[in-house]
Amino acid sequence: MVRAGSSPEHRPASGLVWLLPAALIAAAAAAAVSVVRSGARVEVAWCGAVATVLVAVAAFEAARRGRALADLRGRYARDVAALREQVAQQEAQTVQLAEVLLPQSVARLQQGEFVEEVLKDAASDMALVTPEFHAARLAVLRWVLQAVEAQEGLRESAQRAFVNIARRVQAIVHQQAHELREMETRHGANDDVIDDLLRVDHRTALVGRLADSIAVLGGARPGRQWSNAVPLYSVLRGAMSRILDYQRVELRPVPEVAVVGPAVEPLIHALAELLDNGTRYSPPQSQVHLTAVEVQAGIAIEIEDGGLSLSEEGRERAEKMLSEAQAGIDLNDLGETPRLGLAVVGRLAQANGFQVSLRPSAYLGVRAVLIVPKELITTAPATGRAHGIGAASGPIPAPASAAPPAAGRPVNGGPRPVPTGDDEAPVVTARTALGLPKRTRRSPDPAAAAAEAAPRVQEPAQERAQDPAQEHVQPGQWIAAFTAAVGESPTSRSRNNSDESSGEVEQL
Amino acid sequence: MSGTGRGRGGVWDGEWDESDQPERLYVITRGRSGTGERAALDLVTLIVSLAEPEPAMQPEHAAILRLCRSPLSLAELSAYLSLPVSVVNLLLADLLAEGRVQARKPVPKAIVPDRSLIEAVMHGLQRL
Repeated sequence: MVRAGSSPEHRPASGLVWLLPAALIAAAAAAAVSVVRSGARVEVAWCGAVATVLVAVAAFEAARRGRALADLRGRYARDVAALREQVAQQEAQTVQLAEVLLPQSVARLQQGEFVEEVLKDAASDMALVTPEFHAARLAVLRWVLQAVEAQEGLRESAQRAFVNIARRVQAIVHQQAHELREMETRHGANDDVIDDLLRVDHRTALVGRLADSIAVLGGARPGRQWSNAVPLYSVLRGAMSRILDYQRVELRPVPEVAVVGPAVEPLIHALAELLDNGTRYSPPQSQVHLTAVEVQAGIAIEIEDGGLSLSEEGRERAEKMLSEAQAGIDLNDLGETPRLGLAVVGRLAQANGFQVSLRPSAYLGVRAVLIVPKELITTAPATGRAHGIGAASGPIPAPASAAPPAAGRPVNGGPRPVPTGDDEAPVVTARTALGLPKRTRRSPDPAAAAAEAAPRVQEPAQERAQDPAQEHVQPGQWIAAFTAAVGESPTSRSRNNSDESSGEVEQL
Repeated sequence: MSGTGRGRGGVWDGEWDESDQPERLYVITRGRSGTGERAALDLVTLIVSLAEPEPAMQPEHAAILRLCRSPLSLAELSAYLSLPVSVVNLLLADLLAEGRVQARKPVPKAIVPDRSLIEAVMHGLQRL
């Protein structure tokens, strides 16, 4: 059948091939006629003629069928070749569908394009095979894309739900932290209460970090926003505040720079996760070192623990996790703390331009280095009040001017009485040298004074009348005045100083 | 939460108190607690620094040393630093142990005419 192509060449010759047997028979008949006796010649001639005709017919028929067969073979061969080609094409198309078209389409879908758009592009992309095959391919694509879309929708709504819940938890935690801080101030003098409050405060911060992590993985920004730059030292201690084993973190002196407001919360959160990893995977009594140094690119913050060393394979896996920081919550991740933490760090780093790397540390543990780019660092003094005001050096301010004006709440205040009536407000006409208001003593309305004094029997009414004035006085002055007034000789040495400081307060 | 009036739809929507700080108080005290850790000081004890702040110090310690160049009472310190008295007390215990500050009882008992009266006045003032 492969020889099908060669048959046409033989055709002119083979057209007359069938004459050959007829001619032979005719010759044989003629020979027979010539040798037989004359009496039988006529019969033999007849027989020869008939045989010649029959052979000629048979040979012609055989030759015709042979030609027909060859034609048929040729046609089959062409058909088979065409079909093979078609099969190969379909195979190629199917492979392309599986390896190129589907992944591309799913990827486009995940980037937010619509199913119909993707399908339209895919349809124009296809080389036409047969309409049925084309339609079937499109149908497969449509099914897959619709399934993927439904899945994406489901995941997105789950993610939204997570973020929503996390946001609520964050709101509660922030408010609770705020209130705890107020309570800590209010009960500042009671050691037992404050110890308990601090413990509660700590646990609350841990809850807050978890909520922040979930929000970050869900694609939202972490917790609160800072509008002002915050000193790096405060940021580092803020990160320490949010981990379980903060006592094991040894914070070394850091450069006096500040982190710009928008980067503060992500940085705190990322560092807290790294610190958490560091403290979690090192012996409970070992320390974790937290340092920050200035480098060309910005500030490098190093977290070094003496824990389990990281195998090269583990390190690569961790760094891959950091660099990938894939979109969306993988619900499997939520259960596993180290994966969750690193995924969060990766996300935050990607969103804020931090560079994170994990290396073996000199203590055989892990050294995590987070580089904060220069753009996020400011050397201008942070406007926000921080505990580390002029932490390490700088000009020495006078005591009073070092105290921010915002410090004007009483340490031990309790619920403050609101100045209600004018007759209770003292007329401040002058101030003493210590900054206390000097009252011109008026005779208080006896009835009112009695009414006031009734619930608080032990306290004289005059003292109470001083309440509103106390609002305008710097904290602590009353105590200074008190000690100065009570003790004559022992404090007289320090009195001049107190006078000076109080005077400055008054000018503020 | 929305019930508190602070947030909308359960989301904290930006009423941040700018006086807030990222660090919490337990980090400043480094997690220490208990009366054993604290110095026996009361609100009116005057604190005087004996040394200059050093760069490697915790900022609160440095701030105390700076503020106490002239004597300040514990209560005043607490107010200036915006830290609870108890926390300042812990920090002072560190400095006292290192001999960097001196605590002076303001009034020797003998001179005070009537201790209970003064205490009553002090408590009254505290409750203001």
